[in-house]
Amino acid sequence: MQMSVDELDIKKVINEDLIDLNLEAATKLEAIEQLIHLLYLNHCINDEKDFLEDVLNREKEGITGLGEGVAIPHGKSESVIRTSLAIGRTQKPIEWESLDGKPISTIILFAVKNTDSNVLHIKLLQRVAILLADDDVIAKFQTVRTKQELIDLLSKK
Amino acid sequence: MKIVGISACTSGIAHTYIAKEKLIKAGTEAGHQVRIETQGTIGIEDELTVQEIKEADLVIIAADIKISGRERFKGKKVVEIPTNLAIKAPKQLYKKLESELQRGV
Repeated sequence: MQMSVDELDIKKVINEDLIDLNLEAATKLEAIEQLIHLLYLNHCINDEKDFLEDVLNREKEGITGLGEGVAIPHGKSESVIRTSLAIGRTQKPIEWESLDGKPISTIILFAVKNTDSNVLHIKLLQRVAILLADDDVIAKFQTVRTKQELIDLLSKK
Repeated sequence: MKIVGISACTSGIAHTYIAKEKLIKAGTEAGHQVRIETQGTIGIEDELTVQEIKEADLVIIAADIKISGRERFKGKKVVEIPTNLAIKAPKQLYKKLESELQRGV
């Protein structure tokens, strides 16, 4: 199968190992911790505790639940080695401050290097953010069945 | 209407760009011409031109932080909102702005 350029591109910031479609988390903190662990296992960050602190600090500054079950916690931190995404979908919706007051089941965690000389990676995250402005994309997060389908969704132009 | 604007959020990673897309999408659907400059973690992109600002009927600043280059909008009608409002209810935002402008508020 031939890969499109777009798919190659987005794989610089996300891959199947950074996705968990059956996150067992029951709380917001658990969900964030589990995704941070995925980032750690994949050598995207070098300190889970430090990065967690940054993400939680950002949470204090404003709501990251976009609505329709999708949240985008993020952290820009010294402990990030490689700017990337980790995505989880919880088995049951969890409590999370959101713009429509609904609980969250899809969590897209953005990990950004403090000084990223690689603008390309940030541009890729930006493209993902732009997709999140599309209601159709948001709706599909709940229905994708495989990690590959999720990556395809994020590769959409 | 011709509308120009800025979007900028605290970390400049996600909300800035979601707000921009929503403002453009809902604005275009409502029949406006919308141009949004982003001020994010990698700096300013899609910078507004002097001409665009001059021709604009309205300026929307969707920001959670202090934006740079505010003086460019001197003498213009400026509406300031948090990025979350642009993300949550862009259509309602335009409706409100349209009715306010009609009433000359």
